[in-house]
Amino acid sequence: MTDPTMLSLSELVTALGDRTISSVEVTQALLKRIEVWQAALNAFVAVDTEEALLAARQADTTSGARRGALHGVPLAHKDMYYRAGKPASCGSKIRAGWIAPATSTAVTRLEAAGSFRLGALHMAEFAYGPTGHNTHLGHAHNPWDRSRITGGSSSGSGAAVAARLIPAALGSDTGGSIRLPAHFCGVSGLKPTSGRVSRANAMPLSYTLDTVGPLARTAQDCGLIMSLIAGSDPLDPTTCGAPPWNPGTAERSPRGLTIGVPTGFYVDELDRDVAAALDEALETFRGLGARLVKVDLPDQTAVSAAALIVIAVEATSIHAPWLRTRAEDYGPQVRARLENGLAYSGVQYLEALRWRGPALEAHLAALGDVDVVVAPVARSAAPTLAETDVGAEGGAAIQTLTSFTRPINYLGLPALVVPAGRTPQGLPIGLQLIGRPFGDEVLIALGRAFQVATDYHQGAPPTP
Amino acid sequence: MANELTAEGVAILATAAGVHLDAATAARVARTVSPTVGRFSAPDIVVPFEVEPATFVVVQHRDARR
Repeated sequence: MTDPTMLSLSELVTALGDRTISSVEVTQALLKRIEVWQAALNAFVAVDTEEALLAARQADTTSGARRGALHGVPLAHKDMYYRAGKPASCGSKIRAGWIAPATSTAVTRLEAAGSFRLGALHMAEFAYGPTGHNTHLGHAHNPWDRSRITGGSSSGSGAAVAARLIPAALGSDTGGSIRLPAHFCGVSGLKPTSGRVSRANAMPLSYTLDTVGPLARTAQDCGLIMSLIAGSDPLDPTTCGAPPWNPGTAERSPRGLTIGVPTGFYVDELDRDVAAALDEALETFRGLGARLVKVDLPDQTAVSAAALIVIAVEATSIHAPWLRTRAEDYGPQVRARLENGLAYSGVQYLEALRWRGPALEAHLAALGDVDVVVAPVARSAAPTLAETDVGAEGGAAIQTLTSFTRPINYLGLPALVVPAGRTPQGLPIGLQLIGRPFGDEVLIALGRAFQVATDYHQGAPPTP
Repeated sequence: MANELTAEGVAILATAAGVHLDAATAARVARTVSPTVGRFSAPDIVVPFEVEPATFVVVQHRDARR
């Protein structure tokens, strides 16, 4: 029998549907693998062994009646997706032991499709950090090299999917928190268009920039998760009016797509391995029938500054009551970021919000008929934990990690990360495919075709 | 530079928000935030008079219908 932990989510769904494997077998195999890896990675904050096995047995004994597309699939999500009656510490000391009163819409939809909870995944404190450091619960470690960062804030999601501890997981992305772990850990991850997936009953960081999306081994798996969680939700007004998921577009051919290759900002000062991965990927896309054109995007430093103002003020506003009374209970990096948010005026914040429409308009004008822009996620593969352990004084150094991801949140665009290369040391390199508003399905289609033509998404890290 | 924040200015804003920052922290915040404030006040960023935050959604949905 194939090791079920090595199956992608889509392969697992097929095997469970054919009954060539049982949900109990899958769950037991994942639990065994978690036992082997957890000490090395610190990817999980909770493992619900007995509850998961009970749910698996129930899934196996339903006489032919499948609940939905994920019937019998164990999943775990970033510990900021509330589940009624379960703790959600959000990676913090402040919320340690807090019990969620309701379940997030995204998790509700995944469980309505037949999935069940295997546990909860580690994250940066309150999702406010791009590295995966966590002074309260211990740092998460990269499965490809334990001395290196996973990226954050969805650190456990990236590490657990890469190490085959779970077939897919929800992350969240406010400035790069799905895309950075996907890049550094070598998995696929989609930051959806703003308004595409409900954020209801998920921990907020920035009301304007927060997005909910999947990390999985393949673009196809990300598309499967998106087909289940995308759509309007009365509990999140930003989702009203968003188009429904279009499965046909997510399977279209890349032939005829126009791919924009950015000049300047996204390609200057790249590490050689990242630059080589980008060049190779562009040739692959050309070979798949896409048309490549140069695209001169508006100044991304301005977009980035606006994003920083919005996230800083909104996060500080959300945390203000605790910042006034429990400031010492934050880790030094998160406390420093929250204090930064106090320095912007109300006028600056509202100008940054008002400029979002004109900035998107200028971006779309620069795109012309370009369907997808291909860009690096970061200038390098994963740095070490030590290099990025900068405390309160290293804000600027850490901000550079999100240089290529933060502008996309401000513009509200979808972006899919696919593994696209390796360094000579074996560290993964991902690229982001950046779409037009509500063009998430096009990204999934392009990512799927790319992963038929390449195998960078296939390798599993060696067992510790 | 006109947009350079001072530690004193940061401390006043923090106090208005009900958070006390000591002098060293206020100075660190001023150093960290000044480049962002400076970049966002540059003349190439123009917000038209009629634009409101929700204009973003209008632009987003207009492109989706193209």
